[in-house]
Amino acid sequence: MEATRAKPFFAEPLRYGSAVAFVSIALWLSLILQVPFGNPFWFFFAIAVIVSTWFAGRGPGWLAVALSSLAVLYFFIPPLHSWSIKLPDTPFFATFVLCQVVANWLISWRRQAEDSLRDARDELEARVAERTEELKNANDALVRQMAEQKRMEEDLQVTRTELARVVRITTIGELTASIAHEVNQPLAAVVANADACVAWLSREDPNLAEARAAADRATQGATRASEVIVRIRSLISKVTPEKSRVQINEIIQQTVALAEGQASRNNVAFEFEPEPDLPPVFADSIQLQQVILNLVMNGIEAMSSVTERPRRLLIRSQALSAGQVEVSVRDLGIGVRPETMSRLFEPFFTTRSKGIGMGLPISRSIIEAHGGKLWAESDGAHGSTFRFTLPAGDGPAA
Amino acid sequence: MKDKPGAEPVVFVIDDDRMIREGMQSLIRSVGLRVETFASAQDFLMAKRQEAPACLVLDVRMPGLSGLDLQLKLSAANIQIPIIFITGHGDIPMTVRAMKEGAYEFLTKPVRGQDLLDAIQKAIASDRELRQDRQELREIRARFDALTPREKEVLELVVAGLLNKQIADQLAMSELTVKTHRAHVMDKTQAQSLAHLVRMSEKLKTPRK
Repeated sequence: MEATRAKPFFAEPLRYGSAVAFVSIALWLSLILQVPFGNPFWFFFAIAVIVSTWFAGRGPGWLAVALSSLAVLYFFIPPLHSWSIKLPDTPFFATFVLCQVVANWLISWRRQAEDSLRDARDELEARVAERTEELKNANDALVRQMAEQKRMEEDLQVTRTELARVVRITTIGELTASIAHEVNQPLAAVVANADACVAWLSREDPNLAEARAAADRATQGATRASEVIVRIRSLISKVTPEKSRVQINEIIQQTVALAEGQASRNNVAFEFEPEPDLPPVFADSIQLQQVILNLVMNGIEAMSSVTERPRRLLIRSQALSAGQVEVSVRDLGIGVRPETMSRLFEPFFTTRSKGIGMGLPISRSIIEAHGGKLWAESDGAHGSTFRFTLPAGDGPAA
Repeated sequence: MKDKPGAEPVVFVIDDDRMIREGMQSLIRSVGLRVETFASAQDFLMAKRQEAPACLVLDVRMPGLSGLDLQLKLSAANIQIPIIFITGHGDIPMTVRAMKEGAYEFLTKPVRGQDLLDAIQKAIASDRELRQDRQELREIRARFDALTPREKEVLELVVAGLLNKQIADQLAMSELTVKTHRAHVMDKTQAQSLAHLVRMSEKLKTPRK
């Protein structure tokens, strides 16, 4: 900043040189004009001092004062061309010198004020520029940080989606036997009905109506088998979450159908109480299926050691007053111990030998990503209830 | 308890899957057999069944009462009916259990129509035979039950191979009285020969299958 500070117009020797030059010019003009006008124009010296002080600074100003005084003394005060002075001329000369001094002093004072004003202004400008630069840097950093954060969030989202899928596949793995049954069942129906159709046709008196009915049933069975496969494929496929308007009751029904074999192997009876006219939710249907499947599988597991009472899994949907939809999955299992309760949603916490302990944490993160809540309630030794809520709505929340 | 003369055989199909039930029903009807279907073992137990040669086509794995549970319940209630089990894959432990309890046949899902029909025909034939045996047994028992205590004593010794004289000695009666009792026994049991009497008496002694 100092470097750029406005200096007097010239460098040091030049400044003093200029003072000498101005005074020389003033002397020269005075000498020339003395010839036609007779009366010496001393004002030129005043001008030289003023100009020197203004443009070259205080020091050169003093030099100009000194030189002017000497020049006047030498050239214009009688006796001319001599350094001596007569007593009557002394007041005049003293006044001249005083005027010069005052002029120099005033001008340099004014000059200084102006300089400091300019310095202040320059400094202010410099400061503003500096602050502007700082602000710009801070802003750039903020923009970079935001971009970084956004990228990290995206990475996190991808990781979370991938993890959810892995957990989903693990769950599906546990369901393998059940799924085989789910697919085999309609195929068995296809074979039975196709055989029946052929049998009706190959009778001595072919019964076309019966054959047609059997063929229709075979088609239905095949459709059902393919539906099961589509459902499973969508659960294990690698798709980015996509929200749409979904009916939660349909999701529950599809999920329960997948786990039905597992339930019957474990002698568990599902009881689904859907609330009719449930408002739709805006959600990713595969992720919701995953959550429900996880809760259902946990419920079946919780009842695996129960023998003295019926193994029932109660699934209920209902609309809550605050624009929320609630789904509860209640088992009549062995319940959850209080010390376990608080750890249920911790990653890698599991009470099962086969579990990896990611089902509930993932389920909770899925529900929370949908703006809902997932929690557990213990019914003492008579089982536990898992509930989740989702905001109702058929589009992205405002 | 008597079969109606010429009672029409009936096949009971129990499967929780409606489409499988309907397919099997249609298949079995196509060969002219009577079919009754049930969605669960409980339904079957509650239904009234008329006496006729029959067989049961039963899905091993069903919600509620499973196929194996039903088998145990039926044998506990001494209801004899050949059971054709339909199993999914990987049900080997179940198969073994059912086999031990005397299952008639095992078929794996999806079942080939002809295999099912063959199994059904054989099961019904076997049931018909069993029913005839049981009927015969009931008749024999009725005849034997009509014997007086004294005649029963004589019968025991006759089938044990004793001569009239030895029987008379053992029961402290005259040989003539033994002869008379013996004639009554032969008459009441409708035995055509001594060998026939022995066979009938053995049949009664062997415990019911």
